[in-house]
Amino acid sequence: MLLTLSLAVVVAGCGSNNGNNGNAASNAPSSEGATESQGTVDTGGEKVTVNFMHLWPEGVSAGQNKIVNQIIDSYQTEHPNVTIKQEVLDNEQYKSKLKVLSASNQLPDVGVTWAAGFLQPYVEGNLFTPVDDLLSGELNGKFVAGTTEAYAINGKTYALPLEFNIAPVYYNKAIFEKNNLEIPQTYEQFKTVVKTLSDAGVAPIALGNKDRWTGSLWYMYLADRIAGQATLAGAINGSSSFTDEGLMKAATEVQSLVDVNAFVKGFNGLSNEEAKSEFLNGKAAMYMMGTWELPNFTTNEDIPQEFRDSVGFFKFPTVDGGKGDINSWVGGPGVGLFVSENSKVKDEAKKFVEYFVTKWGEQSVTGAGVIPATKVDTSALELPQLYIDLFNEMNKASSITLFADVQMQASAAETHLNMIQALFGKAATPAKFAEEHDAAIAK
Amino acid sequence: MTTIDAGRPLAGMARRRTGVGRSLGMVLLYAVLIIVAAVQLFPLVWLLFFSLKNNQEVFNLPPLSLPMNPRWENYEKVWSAGNIDVYFLNSVWITIVATALTVVLASLVTYAVTRMRWKGSKFVLGLFMVAMMIPVHSTLIPLFSLFNDTGLINHPLALILSYVAFNMPITIMILLGFYYALPREVEEAAIIDGCSVNRMYFRIVFPMTASVLATTAIINMIYNWNEFIFVNTFISSDAYKTLTVGVQNFIGQYTTDWGAIGATLMISILPILITFLVLSDRIVEGIAAGSVKG
Amino acid sequence: MDKVLSNKKMIALYVLPSLLLILAIVYIPIVLTAYYGLHEWNGIGAMKFVGLDNYQELLKDETFWKSAWHSFMLAIFSGVSLILYLIVAIVLAARIKGANIFRKIYLIPMLLSSVAIAQLWLKIFHPSNGVLNSVLESIGFENPPAWLAEPSIVLYALFVPILWQYAGFYILIYYAALKNIPASLEEAAKIDGASAWQVAWRIKLPLVMEVFKVTIVLAVVGSLKYFDLIFVMTDGGPNGSSEVMASYMYHQAFRAYDFGYGSAIGFFLLVICLIATWLIRKLTASKDTIQYS
Repeated sequence: MLLTLSLAVVVAGCGSNNGNNGNAASNAPSSEGATESQGTVDTGGEKVTVNFMHLWPEGVSAGQNKIVNQIIDSYQTEHPNVTIKQEVLDNEQYKSKLKVLSASNQLPDVGVTWAAGFLQPYVEGNLFTPVDDLLSGELNGKFVAGTTEAYAINGKTYALPLEFNIAPVYYNKAIFEKNNLEIPQTYEQFKTVVKTLSDAGVAPIALGNKDRWTGSLWYMYLADRIAGQATLAGAINGSSSFTDEGLMKAATEVQSLVDVNAFVKGFNGLSNEEAKSEFLNGKAAMYMMGTWELPNFTTNEDIPQEFRDSVGFFKFPTVDGGKGDINSWVGGPGVGLFVSENSKVKDEAKKFVEYFVTKWGEQSVTGAGVIPATKVDTSALELPQLYIDLFNEMNKASSITLFADVQMQASAAETHLNMIQALFGKAATPAKFAEEHDAAIAK
Repeated sequence: MTTIDAGRPLAGMARRRTGVGRSLGMVLLYAVLIIVAAVQLFPLVWLLFFSLKNNQEVFNLPPLSLPMNPRWENYEKVWSAGNIDVYFLNSVWITIVATALTVVLASLVTYAVTRMRWKGSKFVLGLFMVAMMIPVHSTLIPLFSLFNDTGLINHPLALILSYVAFNMPITIMILLGFYYALPREVEEAAIIDGCSVNRMYFRIVFPMTASVLATTAIINMIYNWNEFIFVNTFISSDAYKTLTVGVQNFIGQYTTDWGAIGATLMISILPILITFLVLSDRIVEGIAAGSVKG
Repeated sequence: MDKVLSNKKMIALYVLPSLLLILAIVYIPIVLTAYYGLHEWNGIGAMKFVGLDNYQELLKDETFWKSAWHSFMLAIFSGVSLILYLIVAIVLAARIKGANIFRKIYLIPMLLSSVAIAQLWLKIFHPSNGVLNSVLESIGFENPPAWLAEPSIVLYALFVPILWQYAGFYILIYYAALKNIPASLEEAAKIDGASAWQVAWRIKLPLVMEVFKVTIVLAVVGSLKYFDLIFVMTDGGPNGSSEVMASYMYHQAFRAYDFGYGSAIGFFLLVICLIATWLIRKLTASKDTIQYS
C-alpha cells in the first residue's frame, strides 16, 4: 500500500495578514526575473559561495547535522564551482542573530525561518525573496498540501518548509494500565482520567509552561473542540473576537484543569525540557507535544526500551456539545528555508534550496526522525509503529490549525503567550484573557 | 605584696576566661567558614557529577549523586565534536589580550583622572561611568553595523575591542577607590627626585597597585572567558569562535544534551580555575611588594 | 609638582586612546539607541520618526514600571548585601589560619558562567525533586512552594542566586582593598593596644570606605541592568512576575519586534542608572578624601 500523504490541510489564517487570502502559489508571476536566469548560472566556471545559516549543531542534532552535511557534500560534488559555508547557532541565538543581521541588511544567502507571524516582518522589509518559481518547478506537487501556504504572504511564498508536525497527547500505557484507565474518547472521560491519576498520586500531565507555547497547545485544543476550528481561526486572524462564548469556555476549562491539579507541580516555572523529563521518567502520565518528539519514544537509545515501548498517543477528546471534530489537529510546518532578497548569489541559493528540500524529504524521517513537509512514501521505509500511526492520522486530519504563536504577528504572539501563562497561573480571568487578545490582535 | 598576690589569680582567671571565649569564638568562626566553604565548593562538585550524566540522569537523580555508570563519554563527545581545540585557543588568546589591554588602559586612565590635575577630568570620568549603563542588547545592532562598515565583522578584533571597551568602565570604577587612596607623599618624593610622569606611573604607582590590578585582571578574565553574546553576533566563522559557543553545539532544535554541556563547562572552567588560583596569590604578593616601597 | 602632574601631553597620552575606544564602541550605540528610541521600527523595515511617542507610552506602561520596580528591588538587595560581603572579606583578610585557602574556595562560584549557575539553581529550585524542596520535605514541610512558578515568590527566589553569583566579585574587591593597607599601619595600631576588631573598625573601614562607595555604584548599576540568570531561569515569568528592565527591553526588541520601543527602554534604563549613580555619589560624598598618612 502506498501511504503517500496528501492532505487537504486548512492552515487557519495562513499568512496571518488581515485580508490576505493568498494561496496562489503558481499564479504569481515571478517578477524578480528569477525565471529567466534559471539554469543559466550552472556553467561550472564561476566560483560561488553560498552562506547558509541553520540551527542543527553536530553535538545534539546529530541526525539533522549529518543529513545537512551529506546534502552539502553531494551538492558541492555536483556543482564543483559552489561552496556552501555553514554557520550553526542554537535556537535562541539563531533568532537574535537573524534579527541583528536583518537590521544591517546582512542576511545569509540561505537560512532557516519559521512560518507566518515570524516571517512577516522580513517579507515586509523586503529581505526574503519569493520562491514561487521553485514551487512550480521540480518541487511542484511534492509538498504536503497546505504546508507551503503557511509561508505565503500576499500571494507569494517566501520559504519552503522542511518539517511537518501535529501535536497528539502521548501517554504512558503502563501508568494507565496500573490505574485501570482507558484512552479517553470524550472530554468528560479525560477529566475522569485526570482525577483518577491525581487521586492515585501520579501527576496526570507533564507541562512546562515557562516556555508558554506549551500551554498554548492545550488552550488551542480546548478552543478547537469547544468553539470549533473556524471560530478559533477567526479570533486569531482578528475577524472575530476571543470573547466568543465557546472560546471563553475553553479558557475557563483551562483553569478548571489547573484547579484539579491536572498539570505537574510548578508547571509555570518549568521549561518544556524539565516537564518532558517528568514524562520520560514515568512520573507524569501524559504529555502533549509535537511529533518532533517521536525519536524519544521510538529510537533514542538513551531512553530505556521499557519506557519507549509503553508510549502511546491519543487524539484530544471531543467535548460534549462542542463544535470541534476529533480529527482536527494543532500543528503545522515547523522551520523552512528562505533565500535572501539581497543575496548576490540568489539563483545559486535558490537551486541549493530546491536541492536541499528534495534530499531532506528523502532522508529526514529515517535519518533524524523528522517528518518533512514533502510527501513521504512510507511503504518504502522501515518505520516504528508510532510513526506509521501518526502518518495515518495526518492523512485522516480534517484540519490542522497552525500554532497560535506562529500564526500571530510577533507582538500579538507575545501577548498571547504571556496571557497563556497568566491564564494557567490564574493571574488572569478568562474575560481578561479574551480582552487582552482582542486588543493585541487589533493593534 | 599581698595585694599583688591577691590580684594575680584574678588576673590569671580573667585571662583564661577570655582565652576560652576566644577559642570558642574561633571554633564557631571556623565552623561557619567551613560550612560556607562547603557551600561554595558545591557547584564545582555538582558540575563534575552533572557532566557525567545523561539527560535521564540529569533530571532524575539528585544533583549530588553520581550515576551508576559515570558517562566519561560525554567528555569524549565534547572533544571529538569539531573545532573545540580551535575554540579553546581562541578563548585563551582573546581573553589574554583583551584582559591585558583593559587593565593597562584602565589603570592609565584612572591614574590620569585621580592623580593628575587637569580641567575636565571629572567630565571624562563621567563619560567612562556612563558607558557602563547601557544594556548589552541595545548595543548589538549598532555595533554590528559599525563593525560591518569597518570590515571588522567576523574578525577577532571586533571581540577584543568590544571586550576592552565594555569592561573598561567597570575596571576604572574598581581602580578608582584604590588610586584615590594612594599616599600623596610617594609622588611628592618622586617628583622632587625629578621623576617624570611615566616613570612615576610605571616604577611606583603600577607596582604599588599590583594587588588591585591583579584583582581587576581576574574579574576581566572571567567576564571575557564566559562571554558569548558578542561572539555569536559578530563572529560567524568557526575559525574565530570561542569556547562558549561549544555549549551551543549541544543545544538542539528540540532537545538539549545536558551531560555534554556539563562536560563542556567543566573543560572550560579548568583553565580559568588554574589561572585564578595563580593570580589570586598575586594579590597577596602584590601587597607585599607594594608595602616594601610604601 | 603641579607642573609635572598637569602635563597635557601625558594626560592625553594616558586618556585619549581609551576615550576614543569608548566613544566609538560604547557611545555610538548609546547615541543610536537614543535615536532608534524616537522611531517606530521593527528592526527590519523602514524607520518612522515618532518623536517622544515611545517614551510617552513607556511612562504609561504598567509592565515596564513593574519590571523597573523589580530591578529597583534587586538594586536594594544587592546594595544591602554588600555589607555582608565586606564582613566576609574582613574575616578572610584577618590573619587566621587557612584564610588563604578559604579565600580561594569562596571565590570559585564566581568563575562559573551564567549557563552553569542557572542550571545549578534550577536543580535546587525544582518544585518536586529539587534540592531545596527535598530538604524541606524531609524536615516535615508538606507541600513546599514551587519557587519559580509562584508569582509572589519567584523574584526573591531569583535574588538568591543573583546575589550569590556576585558575592565573589565584591569579596575579591574588598579583600584587595583590605590587603592594600600597608602592614606598617596595622602594626602601629596593634602596638598601641588596639584589638583586631578595633583595627578593623577604626583603621580598615575608613580606608575601605572609598572602595565601598564605588562598589555601591557598581552594585546598583549592575542590578538595574541585570539580565542573565533571570533570562535563563524564568524568562521574566510567570506572567511578568520576575521581569526586569533589561529582560523587558529584550522581549520588546527581539521577541515582539518592537525595536524602537525596546531602544526607548534601553535608553531610559541608562538615564535611570545615571540618576541613581548621581544620587549615590551625592549621598556618599565626603569632603575629606581619605589618605594614608
